[in-house]
Amino acid sequence: MADIPAAGRVPDATRRSSRQVWRTVLGAAIALAIVATAPLYLGTYMTNVLTRALFLAALALTVDLIWGYTGILTFGQSAFFGIGAYACALVFTHWGFGAGWAIGALVIGIAVAMVTAWLTGLLSFYHGASPLYSSIVTLALPIVLTQVIFSGGRFTGSSSGLSGFPTYYWKIDTWFWIAGVFLVVAATFAWLFVRSDYGRILIAIRENEDRCAYLGIPVSRIKTALFAVCAGIAAISGFGYAAFSNVVAPELAGFQLGTESLIWVALGGRGTLIGPILGAIGIDATSSYLSGNLPFLWNFIVGVTFVAVIILLPNGIASLITGAWRRYRTRGAGGGDQPRDSGIRLTAAPSVRAAAAAGRSASPPIRIDGLTCRYGSLTVLDGIDVEGKQGQLLSIVGPNGAGKTTLMRCISNGTERTGGTVTVAGTEIGRSSPQKIVGLGVGRSFQNTSLFDSLTVGDCLRLARYRIDGARPFYRSETVALPEPALEILAATGLDQRLGVETRYLSHGMKRGLELAMVLATEPRVLLLDEPTAGLTKPERTAIGHVLTRLAEEYGLCIFLIEHDLDFVREISNRIVVLHQGKLLLDGTVEEVVSSELVKAVYAGQDLEATV
Amino acid sequence: MAILLLDILTTASMLFIVAAGLMIILGVMKLINFAHGAFLTVGGYAAHVVTAHGFSPWLTIPAAAAFGFVLGVVVERVVVRPLYSRPLDAILATWGLGIIIAQVIVFAFGREVQFAQSPISGTVDLFGTGYSSWRLILIAVAVVLGLLLTALLYLTRFGLNARAVIMNENLARGLGIDSIRVRAMTFGLGAALACAAGALITPLLSVDPNMGLPWLVNSFMLVLVSGIAIPGLALASLVLGGAQVLVSTFVSPIIGGITIVVLAAVILRIKPQGLSRG
Repeated sequence: MADIPAAGRVPDATRRSSRQVWRTVLGAAIALAIVATAPLYLGTYMTNVLTRALFLAALALTVDLIWGYTGILTFGQSAFFGIGAYACALVFTHWGFGAGWAIGALVIGIAVAMVTAWLTGLLSFYHGASPLYSSIVTLALPIVLTQVIFSGGRFTGSSSGLSGFPTYYWKIDTWFWIAGVFLVVAATFAWLFVRSDYGRILIAIRENEDRCAYLGIPVSRIKTALFAVCAGIAAISGFGYAAFSNVVAPELAGFQLGTESLIWVALGGRGTLIGPILGAIGIDATSSYLSGNLPFLWNFIVGVTFVAVIILLPNGIASLITGAWRRYRTRGAGGGDQPRDSGIRLTAAPSVRAAAAAGRSASPPIRIDGLTCRYGSLTVLDGIDVEGKQGQLLSIVGPNGAGKTTLMRCISNGTERTGGTVTVAGTEIGRSSPQKIVGLGVGRSFQNTSLFDSLTVGDCLRLARYRIDGARPFYRSETVALPEPALEILAATGLDQRLGVETRYLSHGMKRGLELAMVLATEPRVLLLDEPTAGLTKPERTAIGHVLTRLAEEYGLCIFLIEHDLDFVREISNRIVVLHQGKLLLDGTVEEVVSSELVKAVYAGQDLEATV
Repeated sequence: MAILLLDILTTASMLFIVAAGLMIILGVMKLINFAHGAFLTVGGYAAHVVTAHGFSPWLTIPAAAAFGFVLGVVVERVVVRPLYSRPLDAILATWGLGIIIAQVIVFAFGREVQFAQSPISGTVDLFGTGYSSWRLILIAVAVVLGLLLTALLYLTRFGLNARAVIMNENLARGLGIDSIRVRAMTFGLGAALACAAGALITPLLSVDPNMGLPWLVNSFMLVLVSGIAIPGLALASLVLGGAQVLVSTFVSPIIGGITIVVLAAVILRIKPQGLSRG
């Protein structure tokens, strides 16, 4: 953290960022003006209906943050809404009423909701959990809570709920203003948040959670924290809803409201914040309005629209408008795949590596002892011992299925191996998750390029710096400080001119280059590269080879490289390890391995095109 | 004690029957059908219509299954097919479909609780006490259903194709298996099973537009815990259904209502692949 360059606050960037803040403040001011004047021209009935809808819209806002931005399909946000509502009703019914009691009840509601969400997060957001599992837990949550309310007897009012408790019998307009201001404030913070560094991380988690973990981003912790904060906001809106409507019922905490909030978000447009708010207000207000005249028909229409939108417009009705706007805008700029101003500038990070590495030369960067990996009866790796030295470029070769990629996996994820130990710079990795191992200084690139499709090159690089530079909520950094080798790769592949391009528009070579630059941006001590040059042209390959050699020689990195092209291997590596059927066949210098009869036999026996 | 054992067995049988359709669809199509509850409801109403028109109550089950099959094939074509590549969206779309079906039922039959005649009523004298004969029949139905489904998957051409699609859809397509047809048939079969299950449980319950909903979540949990296999589903139904009966009897029926959900969440945390794998 200490080495964020002072260049982070260049005047240009500050201006851009403050323009963003001012624009948001202006939007919020307009929204507040609408809220302030709305009761003047709405009738009492509509004001009443809309006040309820505004509280529910705040619930939809949290669902959008969790599902729309981060990709966690949650059925259980209603549980936190219900906790807030019941905190209000229970305190006012059983203990007392007044300003002090109200604040106390609100605090209790928020605290209970956040603790519940935190526990739910601990249970369901562990590394390797399937996205379905967290959905299952969020589905169980409201069901359990509803049953708890049912079993509360007279205390919770059981199935009929609590009503008629003392509350503030303010004018309806006052309640409308409270709900409106609360929603505008929550939405403004959410708006700034999703545009901040953390907002990019949420999208990155949605797009490619695994990659995030291998960049050292603590995915589980971020998800849990987000879940807890959103639970707190939902609890506040539930509290307001209960205090206003003076009725609470188990339905407020139920699974049906949870799914209904998903419908609002999906119809309004997930990942847009404004869409879900309008969706919630529109649907809830219209259904209250129509419930007298055509109640069943209205639900039917909502159902049909919902299914049609999910199938035909996955991004919601709002996408019709935003899509048209984007087309209009990009027509001027010449298409989304063209470089445009990304608003991100690259700077050089101070090179701390050489100094740090010198101090740690006592223990080798990486040591593997007796590493074994089995899947059932299939043994993929069997008793591998390798030690990687500082400044050494070690190539791992072997026929397909020899266990090369599995070896990389076992080093970079503590839960993969069956036996043996892996020690990174003197620290045994144990059963650590990938992000912890990245923290020890292990960087890994994947065999198949693994990036974040809808993020720009600049955003991807910013993400890769999370571990070192951190991220700020409500603020978007304008500079990315990268270590010199990463900058070199960006320059060699021309990526430094394309910082504003979304990665899905990049060519294969550029994607490989970007991935390598991202891994280098985490400033690893040990670099694991799985076929970094596969499918690249000769010049690209040479450029990467050149960078790798320099990384080992000048920066003292220990590099593990999986390669099939033995000419390339011979050119750049100073040590070769041969794997065959999960066993370490040979470990020696380039000459030893190249002249080995054993290696020739293995490759010839496998009938591979490579000849040594 | 004997009654308790019978309760456990019959509850497990009901759960198995109700969850089977959901599991077939999830197993072959990798798709979570949240309209499953609505399909159960449709089955219940099919039974109601059949008996209300004076036909034999035994006809309720084949009638419900036939109607369910047609409904399933249509739904697969219109709603499910565009969503194969977006599994989480498919959950939502089928949930929306459930809302639509429930509303159509309200249009047609109103919100009131209805009843369907039972094929067999009364009790059987067993171990000195009377026990509902329909519940006992359900045990046999569950066993036969389990055997039939196993036979379908392992002894027929359709089963072979379906298993090929489960394991590797692209390869199956390359071998000339019409995977689109397999999926359509599977969804039809799953819907038919769900509707038949609805008809099978109605003699014990009343029929109303939301009758399927409580069963949806429990079935979903059971299928996930089962690890998507027929013996696994039987085991999950026995273990979790048994736990539900025990908790309802000795602790409280309300806590009993959440036993399956809570236990399933815990089991899946420890064994993410479910009971029948690894």
